[in-house]
Amino acid sequence: MNYSKSSFFTQLGILTKRLLLRLARRPLAELPNIFISAFFLLVYDGALGGVFGGNAAGTPFDFANGNFLNFILPVSIVSASVSGGASGIYLVEDIESGVFKRYQGMPISKWAIILAPIVVGAVRVLLQATLIMTLGSIIGADPATGFLGYFAVLGMAFFWGMGFAGYSVAAGVRSGSSQGAQAATFLFFPALFLAPTFTPRYALKGWLETAAAFNPTTYVLEGMRAIMIEGWVSDLILKGFLVAGGFAFITLSFAVISAKTATEKS
Amino acid sequence: MLLAVEAKNLKKTFKTKQGNVEAVRDVSFKVNKGEIFGILGPNGAGKSTTILMLTTLLRITSGTAKINDLDVVKNDSEVRNKIGIALQDTGIDNLLTARELFYTTARLWGLSKSKSKDRTKEMLNLVGLTEAADRRVKTYSGGMKRRLDLGLSLVHKPEVLFLDEPTTGLDPGSRRVLWDEIKKLRDEGVTIILTTQYLEEADELANRISIIDEGLVVAEGTPDELKSSIGGDVITLTFRSDDDAIKAQTIIENSDIEDKQIRVTVENGAEKIPNLLNLLVSKDINVQSVSANKPSLDDVFLKVTGYRLEGEKTLIEESK
Repeated sequence: MNYSKSSFFTQLGILTKRLLLRLARRPLAELPNIFISAFFLLVYDGALGGVFGGNAAGTPFDFANGNFLNFILPVSIVSASVSGGASGIYLVEDIESGVFKRYQGMPISKWAIILAPIVVGAVRVLLQATLIMTLGSIIGADPATGFLGYFAVLGMAFFWGMGFAGYSVAAGVRSGSSQGAQAATFLFFPALFLAPTFTPRYALKGWLETAAAFNPTTYVLEGMRAIMIEGWVSDLILKGFLVAGGFAFITLSFAVISAKTATEKS
Repeated sequence: MLLAVEAKNLKKTFKTKQGNVEAVRDVSFKVNKGEIFGILGPNGAGKSTTILMLTTLLRITSGTAKINDLDVVKNDSEVRNKIGIALQDTGIDNLLTARELFYTTARLWGLSKSKSKDRTKEMLNLVGLTEAADRRVKTYSGGMKRRLDLGLSLVHKPEVLFLDEPTTGLDPGSRRVLWDEIKKLRDEGVTIILTTQYLEEADELANRISIIDEGLVVAEGTPDELKSSIGGDVITLTFRSDDDAIKAQTIIENSDIEDKQIRVTVENGAEKIPNLLNLLVSKDINVQSVSANKPSLDDVFLKVTGYRLEGEKTLIEESK
């Protein structure tokens, strides 16, 4: 029988749909990350909101402009966007189970096989970040840029999440195990906490201030905070997008090179 | 006869930290269209590596291979359109159902949505999984997974099918079901190359067999040709003790010893048994049982490699 070869985008669509089905069949796997992100939001706002926001407006921490929730929400969104790190796990699971080899034996593009988990990682990031923003909105977050601001924050979260997706794919295929891909996402913790997580950058001291200056997370948080608190402050928002986009570009390029090397015929 | 597969002096060397490993040293064979060709050998003989090279999944170090006259290196994409592959590790997504897997595979082969649905029904029926079609694969038995794997490799109606140890790990009943399906495919005109480490499987299914050991082809022919190459009958003598077996081996020329058994190949075995027994009794050696049989593939394997295929790889000593 003669079969016409399916197009690249058809292949990508079919493979993405398969991974989304897998995602839907393991809903519990989605819970820990979304739970941690929601937990961060509620606990930090509850514990620190009274100190840095509200009645405390006018203190040196007045970056919060009276609403600490607007200040802390980006931390939870950045935390939620780490869910893009699942991309590497999806790809390595396919390599480990032999599914990848089966696809290699078919006339389908290797790039479709590698891109599909990254697309699913993107969907995961968007879903989780949207859920956190919805929760934030329900409990009182109020972006200075209005409703459109949420879309800008979501865009930045998307690029940041893609950065983690690329990083986890590279770590996964290089370590050759899904545990390797999973472990790699622990980079997130120093990345999040060596940054102006709870206070504006000017309140940090000594080595932490220096570390924060070199930590890309800092610029993403500041970009999101500008949208939430100050309005369309072009330089901070642009910096946030450039850093998140740059992170995504670098790690995705690294992922593609790693995946190409790891999946080439030996 | 038209050729479906031609492998010429295939060689595969893997570079490792400990140095080069020659997984396949020199493998050549020809497979006719419409036949089942068995590649028989123990673990590590180079069977799977040979299959991976023929199916474009592994780079060939040297030598050439053609599938339906298409070079597997130069025309790898066309070759993939002609072949179906079921490797040792089934490579099945356990979270999906058989219906979803058949449909996804058909779509990836370029079938439209409606044709993919039709093909899915056909394939579920073919491999006997219609009733279990909407159950997740993780609930399937080993035999069902193998049948599903076989079915997935047939979605695009390949002309040549590669099966790498298709029944390893299956119970005898499931193995028999799979054998019947493989024979049915052969009868429909599909050329099948299967690797196996089961002598019975090679004997039952293969029209021709290539025995591979340590990366080399050591014998090739139809099962009957291979058995006839030994000549005569195999007499098997079983003794009460190892000592008796060892003593008997020194007396009976060209015999092989394994535990308490001696095996010797002679012409007209049944006629030779009385003389053989008289000789052993005269030397005060007690024989527990004796039988004469036509040679089996096991005997062929022993002859060409020096050890038995089933069980541990232990060299069998032969008396001179």
